[in-house]
Amino acid sequence: MASLKRSFESDPFAQNISSKVYVRSTKSGKVQKIVREVYLRQDIPCSSKLCNACLKIAPRDAANRPIPFVLSEKPAGTSVFTQGHYIVPDTNAFLSAMDLFEQSSAFYDVIVLQVVLEEVRARSLPLYNRLVSLTKSEDKRFYVFFNEFRLETYVTREENESVNDRNDRAVRKAVKWYNEHLSKTSKKAPAVVMLSNDRDNLRKAKEDGIPAYSLANYVSQLKDGEQLLDMIPEMEERDALIEKKPGQFLYPEHYTLSKMNTGVKNGLLHQGIFNVSPYNYLEGSIRVPAFPKALLILGRENINRAVDGDLVVVEVLPKDQWKQPSTQVIEEEAVTMNENPTEEGSDLISEKERKVLQEEAKRTLAKTTEGHALPTAKVVGVIKRNWRQYVGHIDQSSVSSSAAQGRKQDSVFVIPMDKKIPKIRLRTRQVAELLGKRILVTIDAWDRTSRHPTGHFVRSLGELETKAAETEALLLEYDVQYRPFPKTVLDCLPKEGHDWKVPASMDDPGWRDRQDLRDLLICSIDPIGCQDIDDALHARALPNGNFEVGVHIADVSHFVKPNNAMDTEASIRGTTVYLVDKRIDMLPMLLGTDLCSLKPYVERYAFSVIWEMNSNADIVGSRFTKSVIKSREAFSYEQAQLRIDDASQQDELTNSIRTLLELSKKLKQKRLDAGALSLSSPEIKVHMESETSDPIDVKTKEHLPTMSLVEEFMLLANTSVAAKIYEAFPQTAILRRHAAPPKTNFDELANQLRVKKGLDLSVESSRALADSLDLCVDPKEPFFNTLIRIMATRCMMSAEYFCSGTQSYPEFRHYGLASEIYTHFTSPIRRYADLVAHRQLAAAIEYEAVHPAVRSRGRLEAVCKNINVRHRNAQLAGRASIAYYVGQALRGKATEEDGFVMKIFSNGFVVLVPKFGIESLIRLRDLAEPEPAATYDAETYTLTTTGSRELKVELFQKVRVRVTDQKDETTGKRGVKMELVSTY
Amino acid sequence: MASSQHVLLSPAELAYLHASLNLTPPIRPDGRSPTQFRPLVAETGILPGTNGSARICFADGTEAIVGVKAEVERTRTRHDFPSLDEGTEDDDDLDDNQNDVIKGDNDWVEMTVEIPGYRDDDAGTVFLSVMLSEALLADGEFTKRLWINQRFHWKLYLDILLISPPLSYPLPLLSLTTHLALLAARLPRLKSEGDEDPLFDDDWAAAPYLYPRPSEKGSKATAPAPAARPPVTLLVMAVGNNIIFDPSKEELAVADVALAVSVGESSSTTTSTTSSKPTAMDIDTEETKGHNLRLLSVRTIDPPSRLTPPGIPNASNSAYGANAGVKDTEKKKQQQEQARTAESEAVEGVWKAPRGGAKTLVMATMVQKVLEKGGVADEVLDALDGVDLN
Repeated sequence: MASLKRSFESDPFAQNISSKVYVRSTKSGKVQKIVREVYLRQDIPCSSKLCNACLKIAPRDAANRPIPFVLSEKPAGTSVFTQGHYIVPDTNAFLSAMDLFEQSSAFYDVIVLQVVLEEVRARSLPLYNRLVSLTKSEDKRFYVFFNEFRLETYVTREENESVNDRNDRAVRKAVKWYNEHLSKTSKKAPAVVMLSNDRDNLRKAKEDGIPAYSLANYVSQLKDGEQLLDMIPEMEERDALIEKKPGQFLYPEHYTLSKMNTGVKNGLLHQGIFNVSPYNYLEGSIRVPAFPKALLILGRENINRAVDGDLVVVEVLPKDQWKQPSTQVIEEEAVTMNENPTEEGSDLISEKERKVLQEEAKRTLAKTTEGHALPTAKVVGVIKRNWRQYVGHIDQSSVSSSAAQGRKQDSVFVIPMDKKIPKIRLRTRQVAELLGKRILVTIDAWDRTSRHPTGHFVRSLGELETKAAETEALLLEYDVQYRPFPKTVLDCLPKEGHDWKVPASMDDPGWRDRQDLRDLLICSIDPIGCQDIDDALHARALPNGNFEVGVHIADVSHFVKPNNAMDTEASIRGTTVYLVDKRIDMLPMLLGTDLCSLKPYVERYAFSVIWEMNSNADIVGSRFTKSVIKSREAFSYEQAQLRIDDASQQDELTNSIRTLLELSKKLKQKRLDAGALSLSSPEIKVHMESETSDPIDVKTKEHLPTMSLVEEFMLLANTSVAAKIYEAFPQTAILRRHAAPPKTNFDELANQLRVKKGLDLSVESSRALADSLDLCVDPKEPFFNTLIRIMATRCMMSAEYFCSGTQSYPEFRHYGLASEIYTHFTSPIRRYADLVAHRQLAAAIEYEAVHPAVRSRGRLEAVCKNINVRHRNAQLAGRASIAYYVGQALRGKATEEDGFVMKIFSNGFVVLVPKFGIESLIRLRDLAEPEPAATYDAETYTLTTTGSRELKVELFQKVRVRVTDQKDETTGKRGVKMELVSTY
Repeated sequence: MASSQHVLLSPAELAYLHASLNLTPPIRPDGRSPTQFRPLVAETGILPGTNGSARICFADGTEAIVGVKAEVERTRTRHDFPSLDEGTEDDDDLDDNQNDVIKGDNDWVEMTVEIPGYRDDDAGTVFLSVMLSEALLADGEFTKRLWINQRFHWKLYLDILLISPPLSYPLPLLSLTTHLALLAARLPRLKSEGDEDPLFDDDWAAAPYLYPRPSEKGSKATAPAPAARPPVTLLVMAVGNNIIFDPSKEELAVADVALAVSVGESSSTTTSTTSSKPTAMDIDTEETKGHNLRLLSVRTIDPPSRLTPPGIPNASNSAYGANAGVKDTEKKKQQQEQARTAESEAVEGVWKAPRGGAKTLVMATMVQKVLEKGGVADEVLDALDGVDLN
């Protein structure tokens, strides 16, 4: 009987075939044996320009040209390898020190092995993407070598060998092969060096006689290696860990993944995103599907090494440990000020923390009878870390005096700008240089034995409080993509550049299905200095007594075609980010401020929404069309307002603006009648000195009727478009919804209003809320209503983009606007969602074929998810920028202003100063020296201080505060500091 | 498929065959000794995608393939047991009495037999698969090997394929192939502990065998292993007082009685090769050579001989000899009576289908012969030991 098995002895090609056998466990719990045959080849080139042998056999492209080789013939040398060298890093080298490889001073001619690339992808997608972009960059000369398919470098897994060990062996084998292979090319062939931070791997390489170095050893061979040394995380000291006695573990061990999965499936454990309270770094919360309200996680031990944003698994604590959320402000810096980073405290909770905890316990005990206690939980494991790079600065007090001078490695604490992130322990040799700078660090690990996470230095952004450093810090912190557009994106721009014009000939394909609206009296109204003009308007009376009103939006989708590099870049950026002195564009300048921008006096492509309205602003008919327009004038809000108010101006254009204003007022009234909320957030404007762009003054934004004119028509256009694209694409329309907030969100505010002002807040519907907000007035204090609106806004859910197939129709509702259906259509230059809506509308009116990208639900969901995050980050970045400039504007000035108490704690209170739109915490210890004793009555929201200063502070109270600037030692930000002058 | 396949032998040939098998010692048509097996060729691991597979070819050209596939399956909870949720809260307790709660279920094994040319619900096919699974499940020990934890178990799919036409009754072939496939079968190594959702080692090389080898004593057996090898089912037949193993198709056609005897190996007391208890090994290796066999099941097979047409003795053949030309009615009557006796009584050299049950004594001898130390089953198991399982 002939055997059915492949006989490796008799088959002449047998050596080219190998197989991998492994066990795969799927998410659904299936366990499969997988057998893969591997076909090995010998024509995978080494890609060194020195090698002629490989050039002959290398695969060629369709034109029979060989693919150019990557690795240079004269690679750089080091002190050890003077003849030059190529680098082969292993997986953990990339995982732990990707920043190093992105340096421009060193790390050229790198061979990225396929096995390493695959491992990096499995471990971290962001790092993988960075590595891939490195391999694509031409000047870095990174070459991906497919070692798993080359006969000589393929290794089979041995018995009882872990995958990691097998892959390490594959790396060593590839390095060995490279060395042997290159030595054939010339006598002084460059060395091929393996870089690894794994001791075991290094040791084995040494045994095999393969040149291998740890990252630190390697970097020290480089010319200016000193600076790079800090970017290397410490070698994994596994041995050291084991030596530590179990008694020294500060944190409970995390559960195994399988135990967590089982628990979550059984409903005994819960999985969710861990959030840290911005006021108390020892208090976290986690929203899990099983409970309507978030679970509290209190104390260092229960938080158990979770960092804000991590996906964690928690276990609910027994009922006797349930607590109230803290009424106290606890800032990490204040409590753990004098810790020494080099010595690890043997007990988890420091003396001071303990004291704070005791007070806390007392307070809760006093109130447990009321049963206000909330369920608490503890973290039992982390499913996925969400660590990113953090901006921070070195804590001055953690630097030992000797370290500030010498260049020996020293441990210091980095205090992240984000207060929710714990202090990070950093080992660096450049303490002296880095002090007082904004630096970027990453977290490497958080061991059970270490109270704080350890990290490594990535790069310095510059001096604290310099504009460049602070702006970059801000952009990094909010993950705003601020790098210049790559060449591939710029290549997508029209070739004519700024000379591009609407084609004169109507036969041009650009004119296809476009309506000629150049004769309409169209104008745009925007803030002063606006360059990216998205929208323009017109109105004219029709013979039948009705009005024709048109909203014309820049036709960005004409220039940005789906799925090209520019489109991809825009979809990643998601939105334009406006900082006080800077704008980070979503689209290249050429489009945003010129070709798409609806500038006056020139012809531009537009996408128009045109309604016929009667004098009551009821819509009689509407249509959508691509068009060509010529804007007659670009007004600022102020100019437009002046022109309307000036009765002598009776030209057609001004009259049409007046018509628009009349109609917009009626539209607004209708909207308010339907229950639209008029919410509020403190809006201010920073005035800059025109030349140095230093901030000189801060003003609250004025509200002009022309603003709501534009706003009303934009809302109307958005709503009309939303209905149209939903009708055309019921499953895939991109829409925007604003969920009704859960009633519990308002509990606190409603209670506060009832207790303090005897006012009722009804939240049954947006209409009821709008009405009851209107009634929240204090005749003596006009600002009170705005204050309540600001606070109510914070109770709301945030609006989000979604794909219509993911929700049922009733869920589409926009709560704030009281609109059944809504989308964003009117700002395609600065929002990606609008661009998608444009494409969908164009397809809906059969202007163009539906592109698969706007039809695939999976893709749209991914886009929505991304732009929701980007949108939020852009807002936060904008606010942070304003806060920074307000601090700068107030620098060295002290003014007394009126403020209002917004939030009250047992050891402090938050005051909002409407004039600057800023809020700040005033702690008890800021009131007087020594800190006055205080009693806090949570029932009436009253804080009464006695002793060194006697005061009674109540919620919503108007107070007089002195506003000065102060550098916040914890975050290194210059912010405002408020001192209480007097209460009214 | 029926064991009673059509045998194209004339009554005279059947009679001759029967007579020669009835001799002491019997003379078999292919010259084998009564206990000798037909030569066979076996190999394992022919289907890389399965957990274990084997293929056996008999010299007569019949050939079978068996594949074993395992899937993780959630164990249905029984209400008369302490509920699961209580159990998972306290892992330590569970670990302590883990061994006590290991129990299997016959549902965890699904066996399908496929014979070319026969429907899968054909009575013969069903009977074959029942016999094979009966042997496997009889002592309830096999399914314990499939236990993962309180909440999960392996579900084993045994696909038994005869890939040649059924030239002879395929029971011994299928049984031996199944035996080999099970011996070669491996299950991924369990990494999780207690009653967690199971997690497995991704290294196939580390996967332990379903029936642990003595060479891998260290590897974790999924259950205490009372039987260290899967059962084999042997086909035994008797002609007169002669007991003949592994009958060919022709031999089966003249069998007085045919039995399917399933034996397993209980290793807990004496065994040389396959004990999983190291202590037993130390003691016993010197003492006994051979397997400690255990009878698992016995089934009688309806031998095809019963359906063969009988031969007619000359005495009663009206067209021949005595009857020819007789006209007298008296004589005819007499002769008819004679013929009747001839039909009921054996006439030397004339084939007559066996009737009535098997003799108890013969049956007992057959079973005993199977179980004998150094007997056929021993030999077969030894021979299968020689198959390379990787």
